[in-house]
Amino acid sequence: MNKKNILTVQNVVWAAILLAALLATPHFLKFYHQDLLIYLTINVLVVCSYRLVTLTGEWSLIHAVMMGVGAYTASLLFIHFGLDMWFTLPFAGGAAALIAALLCFPLLRMTQFYFLIGSFAAGEAIRLTWIEFVGVFGGTGGLRGVEAPILWGIDFIDPIPYYYLSLFIVSVCLFILYRIENSRVGLTLHAIHWKAPLAESVGVNAWRYRALAFIVGSFFVGLAGGLKVHYLGSVSPNQMGIGFMVFILIWVIVGGYNKFYGPIIGVIVLTVFDESIRTFEVLRPAIYGAVLILSVLFLPLGLESIPGRLRSWFGVGSTPHEPPLTDQ
Amino acid sequence: MGISRRDFVRNTAAGALIASTGLPSRVFAAGQKTVKIGMNIPMTGDYAPWGLPGLYGCQVVVDDINAAGGVNIGDQNYAIEIVSYDHGYDIEKAVQGYKQMVSESDVKMVMMLGGSTVGAVMPWADRKKILTTTLLASDITPDTEYLIATSESHPLYNVTGVEWLAQHHPEVKTAAIVTNNDAEYGLQSAATYQAAFEVAGIEVVDINLHGFDVTDFAPIVSSVLAKNPDVFCMATSFYCTPLMEQLYHQGYKGKIISCTLDYYDEIIAKTSKEFVNGTIFQFPDFDDPKLNEKGINFPNPGDFDAKFRKDHPNDWSAVAWEYPANLLNWIEGAKAAGSVEPTEVLKALRSNKNPEFVFGEGRWWGKEFWGRDSVVVGRWPVVVVQDGKARIQEYRSVSGWLDKHAAVLAKYMKSHGLRITG
Amino acid sequence: MELFLLSIVNGLIQGGFFALFAVGLVLIFGVMGVVNFAHGELVMVGAFTIWLLHAQYGLGYIPAIMVAIILVTIIGLLMERFLFRPTRSDPLAGLICSIGVLFILQVAATLVGGDGPSKQVPPPFEGTLVLFEFLRIPYQRVFSLLISVTALGTLWFFLTRSKFGWALRAVAQDREAASLQGINSNRISIIAIGVGAALAGLAGGLVAPLTNINPHMGHNVIITAFIVTIVGGVGSLLGAVLAAVLYAMLHTFMTVYFGGTIATICGLILMVVVLIVKPSGIMGVRVSE
Repeated sequence: MNKKNILTVQNVVWAAILLAALLATPHFLKFYHQDLLIYLTINVLVVCSYRLVTLTGEWSLIHAVMMGVGAYTASLLFIHFGLDMWFTLPFAGGAAALIAALLCFPLLRMTQFYFLIGSFAAGEAIRLTWIEFVGVFGGTGGLRGVEAPILWGIDFIDPIPYYYLSLFIVSVCLFILYRIENSRVGLTLHAIHWKAPLAESVGVNAWRYRALAFIVGSFFVGLAGGLKVHYLGSVSPNQMGIGFMVFILIWVIVGGYNKFYGPIIGVIVLTVFDESIRTFEVLRPAIYGAVLILSVLFLPLGLESIPGRLRSWFGVGSTPHEPPLTDQ
Repeated sequence: MGISRRDFVRNTAAGALIASTGLPSRVFAAGQKTVKIGMNIPMTGDYAPWGLPGLYGCQVVVDDINAAGGVNIGDQNYAIEIVSYDHGYDIEKAVQGYKQMVSESDVKMVMMLGGSTVGAVMPWADRKKILTTTLLASDITPDTEYLIATSESHPLYNVTGVEWLAQHHPEVKTAAIVTNNDAEYGLQSAATYQAAFEVAGIEVVDINLHGFDVTDFAPIVSSVLAKNPDVFCMATSFYCTPLMEQLYHQGYKGKIISCTLDYYDEIIAKTSKEFVNGTIFQFPDFDDPKLNEKGINFPNPGDFDAKFRKDHPNDWSAVAWEYPANLLNWIEGAKAAGSVEPTEVLKALRSNKNPEFVFGEGRWWGKEFWGRDSVVVGRWPVVVVQDGKARIQEYRSVSGWLDKHAAVLAKYMKSHGLRITG
Repeated sequence: MELFLLSIVNGLIQGGFFALFAVGLVLIFGVMGVVNFAHGELVMVGAFTIWLLHAQYGLGYIPAIMVAIILVTIIGLLMERFLFRPTRSDPLAGLICSIGVLFILQVAATLVGGDGPSKQVPPPFEGTLVLFEFLRIPYQRVFSLLISVTALGTLWFFLTRSKFGWALRAVAQDREAASLQGINSNRISIIAIGVGAALAGLAGGLVAPLTNINPHMGHNVIITAFIVTIVGGVGSLLGAVLAAVLYAMLHTFMTVYFGGTIATICGLILMVVVLIVKPSGIMGVRVSE
């Protein structure tokens, strides 16, 4: 790990500016855009936790359903036991992690295409359970009536307090995810991706590390699900289907998955873009599709690589390009 | 052809939030104000047939009202403007659209289809005290103070069709129910039909609940027909056309009863007029002569039907008149209150023990089931296809049935895991 | 007994339809290594073409199917040339590109037909075939079954008897070995996607009069196709056909005797079991461990 001192004056100034910008943002937005800002904040956690799962080079299609597991858990705890968000969130993450742990046994026997489809099938089975058991999960109508907490007189049902709250929670989670990636565990995950046989030959139990990434990633997305349902108030099975999963994939890939901040850039840029083309309502998915194709064709390393490219074009410094991860 | 390209662009492409009535060449009366009514409905996707036609219907009604000089509420004359938002039956979009039309357009009431989308907006709507309408009675909860169902009371009215069937076809002994397994439309409706059949002394021999992923209905229909039911019942199915088609091809000879029979012309085109004739359902066309009888609270139904079909020849569905009916109820309430403010309108509506229900004899109901008397029940028509055309046979009392048999309905609702608060 | 026989016939008809598009998906995956997420949308475009040309403009059903096949094949070829070929080194990129195509095709269908209610195509072949006085099969379904069997038979003949077919199977089994043998993989890719897309177009044409047509109908199709592909074995065309019939039979019988949702869950479980027990599928060859 790089042991550079990160507390330079420059870094502190940048961090302060970033923080000020994040805190100020909602005040410049229209009322209903403040909701989108909250969802965006939560989606940042979704994509970053997804990146952890993909570090070993395996792409799953169950992440959206895991978010649903968290959301349903939080909802049930709130509805039946009246637990506030402070208590439901850890359970939301925990439930997703538990299910991920159970699924490790069948799913992690598979790799690549098989893992992709296997994880998809497992997710669909969970979703069908929500639809089938109406008495518990409310069927297609889902669960409703989940409320945001009230603390010290602050009613978090209002968008700005909830935004600050989710910003705080997501930041803490991102910090943890970042530390994991840059720890020995994270480096091992990278190693498994690049040279699985080699890693195994030096005694790394690849299965165990893949399981760890899958479980931890699921924990954080489950938590994100809980965070979301306490603001939105409802959860339904269709929200957490393949449709949302496709968006997670798109955000991560268009943003660029080689760097920690790539998916964050992806989800922010595409959400803003998506909102800005709202006037083309009918055409919107097609515009989205075209942008997706163009970015894959012409920016295979994602939006994250643009600054590097610009620098090298203008001859300012040279950032050697990493090869695409799947190009082996 | 469904909706024309032009309609589609006019209604959705020009932005998510559009004032649909626009500014025609009509001259605004001096001092006239505009009151905005929101429609937060699905206009695209699977649920579009139960959203978009309602918008078209409201346009017809609103154009008529405005052309006649608007409405007088209190001391003020108002033109009505419809603000619409397509949520595509997505709960996040529904909430976003709702907040957008309230905060930016200051709508005084929001009309919605129902189900999870209504459940998602209500906490905020109740906090902000915005009057909201749904077509699903089952959306009412003890908490939803500002939610009312004044026109459609899904699924309660289904009982009238079964009553009529049992009375006119006493030879019928057994029934099979087929529907999609969603908790909002299908299961609610299936439970109601079960209760109605039990009360009518008809035995339910099979209930087939399927998902939304069915591409071929042949196996479903053949398995149901193997039980030899006298009645084939489609409980608010999204798939009436393919089901009817399979019934036709598999040589089914019994009675057919359905909640809706939208686009029945297409069903006739895929089967035959003789086959579809005699099908019982719950939603009239508005050129029906029986709608001109006394006791019907809808102005000029025939005229409404003609104008609707002139602009949108193939888009008539069950909801085409329901959103307009909700709008008319709101106008009544606003006139009585002398105000357009939601709290006042709601108070005025509730204080009227016998609200002007479309088919007459309306009264508030729902407390014993969902914790609030927020549903208007009254008479409801029984519609039968005759010579390829939907025709009202008679009106029967939904509230009368509920007075006697609510416990039976509650039993079946619970058996499907559906929420009964009372 | 009647129900049993009827279910077998229904299963076969359904199996033929599943096989038509699953084979295409397998061909494209086998030869190019790309999971074509837009394959269901190719079926949708085929069905929409029938609706537009046959039901709206009165073109004959058979000519409309021809147009559907040609149109969908052209879309497939464009996808190969401009999307899958440039991203060949990165299978994930191909997958994401196909998702982009999926969005575009759905919007295109919406623009052509409008959204709103599902479209219906009145059956071009009316009447019902009655066998042994109890087996009633609409002629439309008989036609659908005959055409799928013929198309699959032709494909089989092409794959086993022609030079291209031989090369194609070689590439699908082992791409590197095939290129060592001097097989031009670009040309093979074009043929693979051409054939795959044409079959999808045909499947759309056949299913159009039997189902609700809407821009999102491809979604259900693709899930079925994945299940069939996995169960059959990812690189195996024969496996795909067998799995399609097997899955359709299972699904039909489960639907008849236990209900639709149970049938779908069983299909998913079948897939997961195959993935665990024999990831290479019922007909697949285990390439490496």
